[in-house]
Amino acid sequence: MSAPAPPRPPGRSLGSSLLDQVLAETVDPAYAQAAEAKRARAKAAEAAHASRVRRARAAGEPEPAAPRVRGHRRGEALVAVTMVLAGLLAALTYSEASAGAAGREAVREALIDDIETESAATDDLVTTLTDLQTEVTAARDQALAASSVGQQALARLATAETGAAAVPVTGPGLVVTLGNPLPSAAQDPVGGSGTDDPTALVLDRDLQLLVNALWAAGAEAISVDGQRLGPTTAIRQAGGAILVDFRPVSSPYEVQAIGDPDLLNNGFLRSPEATYLAGLEITYGIVFTFGRADDLTLPGASSTELREAEPVPVTEGSSDPSADPASDPTTSDDGD
Amino acid sequence: MIPILGLAVGVVLGLLLDPSVPVWLQPYLPIAVVAALDAVFGGIRARFDGIFDAKVFVVSFVSNVVVAALIVFLGDQLGVGAQLSTAVVVVLGIRIFGNAAAIRRHLFRA
Repeated sequence: MSAPAPPRPPGRSLGSSLLDQVLAETVDPAYAQAAEAKRARAKAAEAAHASRVRRARAAGEPEPAAPRVRGHRRGEALVAVTMVLAGLLAALTYSEASAGAAGREAVREALIDDIETESAATDDLVTTLTDLQTEVTAARDQALAASSVGQQALARLATAETGAAAVPVTGPGLVVTLGNPLPSAAQDPVGGSGTDDPTALVLDRDLQLLVNALWAAGAEAISVDGQRLGPTTAIRQAGGAILVDFRPVSSPYEVQAIGDPDLLNNGFLRSPEATYLAGLEITYGIVFTFGRADDLTLPGASSTELREAEPVPVTEGSSDPSADPASDPTTSDDGD
Repeated sequence: MIPILGLAVGVVLGLLLDPSVPVWLQPYLPIAVVAALDAVFGGIRARFDGIFDAKVFVVSFVSNVVVAALIVFLGDQLGVGAQLSTAVVVVLGIRIFGNAAAIRRHLFRA
């Protein structure tokens, strides 16, 4: 195969001739040409040497030595250097590739670490926030309880806070669980990729439907995965995650609703949303279970912002128009 | 024997020194290695055929590596870098395979 490719028979397509060439010329034709040239040169040198020997013999001189093949040693050195280069290239590529793989792994781990650190920081901050809120509430209650006007305000505040889901509540109710299909149920264990079918995941829509059906059935308080739903809480999807009150929740989503269990159960079962979710369970294999619970404890929703404030109306004989600064020293005096 | 020693020395040097490669050169390293492999296998085959020539080997090695990297570079500029590197790998792979088969025939007479 070192010889140049034989002339192609006519009538063959360009594609097949190209393939023929690729398949036939596996060794560089330059080798054959170089060998040919070397042979020609050797023959010429031999002829020259022979003529020189003949001339020397004719002149009666001693025979000249046969010509040495030059450049042999240099060629070998060149080949060795080239092979060093080849090894260097291969080793470099290998180390680059392995460094790339290790680098990706390191970056991934660093990102996971970052996520965990930041999540812990968020949790710490939430704990601090809760503590501070408790302190503020205690101080406020103490300040308000001192006067009758304050007590009225406190009662109104308690009603408002209950309505705004700002306080934790306990009671009997219903627990509904929605979850993404279990991998073993939805995936072929042999050919499956192991990841969930993206079309079979629980969507924010499904959770919204479920929560609305529970409200309609008479729920007094609802939480999703431990996130209490307030009047302004949104359930929405961002990328692949479902956010409740801007905090991510993950499958299975446990929806707890406090209310009269019988009323809730019957109302929810009769709702078209329950039928829809049961249909999803059959079609996509999502997890959909529910049951009564005797004792549920729901946390308060995240703190509501203070948007509006007005001074407590003065009904008693206090003539001071600025009620708060005036009443503060007296209450502190009374308290101590 | 010396070429094989050279190859080993090169590998050891590359792994021990671990020189940093400029970022712009990194995408062309794998294709350059495939081209180098093709030249090396061609050289071994030529040696078995008895027509080995040092100059041809060195020139084919250097030009193979440079041209393969250049083709992929050109493909990258034209937006077909991945396809062109596939083409280069296919062609060089066929040649490496053919040369390896020829070397096997020389070595084992089968």
